[in-house]
Amino acid sequence: MKKLLSVLLCMSMLFTLVACGSSSTSAPSAETQAAEATESFELALVTDLGTIDDKSFNQGAWEGLTNYAQQNGKTFKYYQPQEAGTNAYLETIELAIEGGAKLVVCPGYLFEEPVYLAQEQYPDIHFVLLDGEPHDAEYNYSTGANTMPILYQEDQAGFLAGYAAVKDGNTKLGFMGGMAVPAVIRFGLGYVQGIDAAAKEDGVDCEVVYNYTGQFAATPEAQSMAASWYNQGTQVVFGCGGAVGNSVMSAAEGKNQEEGAFVAKVIGVDVDQYSESDTVITSAMKMLANSVYDAISWYYDGTFKGGQTTTFNVQNDGVGAAMDHAKFDKFTKADYDEVYKRLQNGEFSLFNDVAESDPSKALTLENTKVTFIQ
Amino acid sequence: MQILYFLIQQTLLFMIPLLITALGGMFSERSGVVNIALEGIMVMGAFTSILFLNFTQGFMSGNVQLLIAIVIAIVTGMFFSLFHAIAAVNLKADQTISGTALNMFAPAFAIFVARIIQGVQQINFNNTFRIVEVPVLSKIPVIGEMLFKNSYITTYIGFLVLILSALVLYKTRFGLRLRACGENPQAANAAGISVEKMQYAGVLISGALAGLGGLVFVVPTSTNFNATVSGYGFLAVAVLIFGQWKPKYILFAAFFFGFMKALSNSYASIPFLFELNIQSYIYKMVPYIATILVLIFTSKNSSAPKASGIPFDPMQR
Repeated sequence: MKKLLSVLLCMSMLFTLVACGSSSTSAPSAETQAAEATESFELALVTDLGTIDDKSFNQGAWEGLTNYAQQNGKTFKYYQPQEAGTNAYLETIELAIEGGAKLVVCPGYLFEEPVYLAQEQYPDIHFVLLDGEPHDAEYNYSTGANTMPILYQEDQAGFLAGYAAVKDGNTKLGFMGGMAVPAVIRFGLGYVQGIDAAAKEDGVDCEVVYNYTGQFAATPEAQSMAASWYNQGTQVVFGCGGAVGNSVMSAAEGKNQEEGAFVAKVIGVDVDQYSESDTVITSAMKMLANSVYDAISWYYDGTFKGGQTTTFNVQNDGVGAAMDHAKFDKFTKADYDEVYKRLQNGEFSLFNDVAESDPSKALTLENTKVTFIQ
Repeated sequence: MQILYFLIQQTLLFMIPLLITALGGMFSERSGVVNIALEGIMVMGAFTSILFLNFTQGFMSGNVQLLIAIVIAIVTGMFFSLFHAIAAVNLKADQTISGTALNMFAPAFAIFVARIIQGVQQINFNNTFRIVEVPVLSKIPVIGEMLFKNSYITTYIGFLVLILSALVLYKTRFGLRLRACGENPQAANAAGISVEKMQYAGVLISGALAGLGGLVFVVPTSTNFNATVSGYGFLAVAVLIFGQWKPKYILFAAFFFGFMKALSNSYASIPFLFELNIQSYIYKMVPYIATILVLIFTSKNSSAPKASGIPFDPMQR
């Protein structure tokens, strides 16, 4: 009797394992199902934490990949790791390679270590790593000839957003970052410089309240702080750090409801966050789709830029501010194109050294007063 | 003055969930069962009720929707605390361990189910519950500005819970029996009170209130629920201890914690505090330092229920 029970138990455990395994590769989109017949997928994307429709890194990268593949008749598929961690990510990359992948796109800095390991194990496979550079567990950086790390010049995206906000008539602004990691600091430094540049041109004085919340989460503390800023008269807050933005949006929605007018505005980050809240007037974006598209097309052209880090900036349309769903009063698309061109021409030299995270110390500003909150 | 009103309004956002949850913890502890599962119960209560808000948004909004969500949160909290009750009362397990188990289970469960249902773990909701001002009452000078503007219906529920808790605990037969079970269950048992029933009641009430506390915590402060209540369940335990297991002191403790929280976030908007240039960490530390000090000074004659945390054994006299 006991034996029978244990056999049954084993069977049920096996079954659940199999069930879990099969669900991982399921949920393919319509496109991947169409490609299923060939059973080999040249282009693969391994998702970071979260799903393919996360309105952030995964989705942006996936859009670029599907665009290229559909236009050029390539087969493609995405793979979702079962759990976080270097080993799980590496296993999923291996799964993609077994599935016939020749080029694997890995969105997010969490892939730095997995790609470091994979690039040596699979010298024939090409990797595109977004927002990071491969390194081992001891932070020894090394980029293989088959790997193309992509970084973004966040300071330029922040600059455009800050410039646009001031040109639109706002003079009291805020910046609420997540952790003070290099990407967030660069966003912030650029944002403040954009504000100052626009303030100088218009001959107005601007004030910026500036804080790093210390985490990438929506907390009541962040919400309360944003609410106090709006209450104090701050018009626009740049919510820069994952879910911190949600706290800022929540505070802005409350303020607008209270006043019965659109007085509290938010600037989104990374992707166009207009769909998250009506208070988002624009977003400081990394053009993930563009950069992935370019990287893949270089691979097929034989000009794959392996072995070195490629930086996407305004020169190659890699960063920008969202204008498609922007809610500006005065600032037009023409104004945006103009400042974008000036930034391309190098008219503004941006300081983006992340050694000092406090912009009131790092920058010399003329028309802008930064209040840095510890 | 405007700043003071704003501070009080912010304080209420932090204070009410702490107050409700700590009062829940009080019922459990006064019946003799330690409930450190408050955090996990808050997560579960918030999870199901926010899921409801998510499903019904679009064809339902405003305070009717919120009231149904409140009922769901309460029911979920009671159901989830049932596990703690079974472990603590029937199985006479170590109450700290079963509470810890629930705390670890809740966020994992919330993430797992949310992902199965909708693919992402964050559950979005539309906050349509803010009351811009309460008619008539908001015209009262000072108090009207503080309590009846930019508030939530949950604020008033919180105060209602406080009054009811005090009444139930001190003015009813049930309250007396509950307290007896927390002080000396053997004597209560000898007097013919079913200790098991009382402890079940205590834990279930704590579950109901903690579940409600979870919803009350999430709604005003975010636009989505991400399987966490940021440690407010543990903070509620601290409020309970700081409040010496008594409703009126718990009110004071919750206000103090809430006020320091609000201050640490918005001190930069208050000119003279910003001039002082004290780091926000100091404000954040104060409530905890105060709790430790209170514990030190009251440990000799602490008013903690004497039998709290000890599984009831009728043989032990």
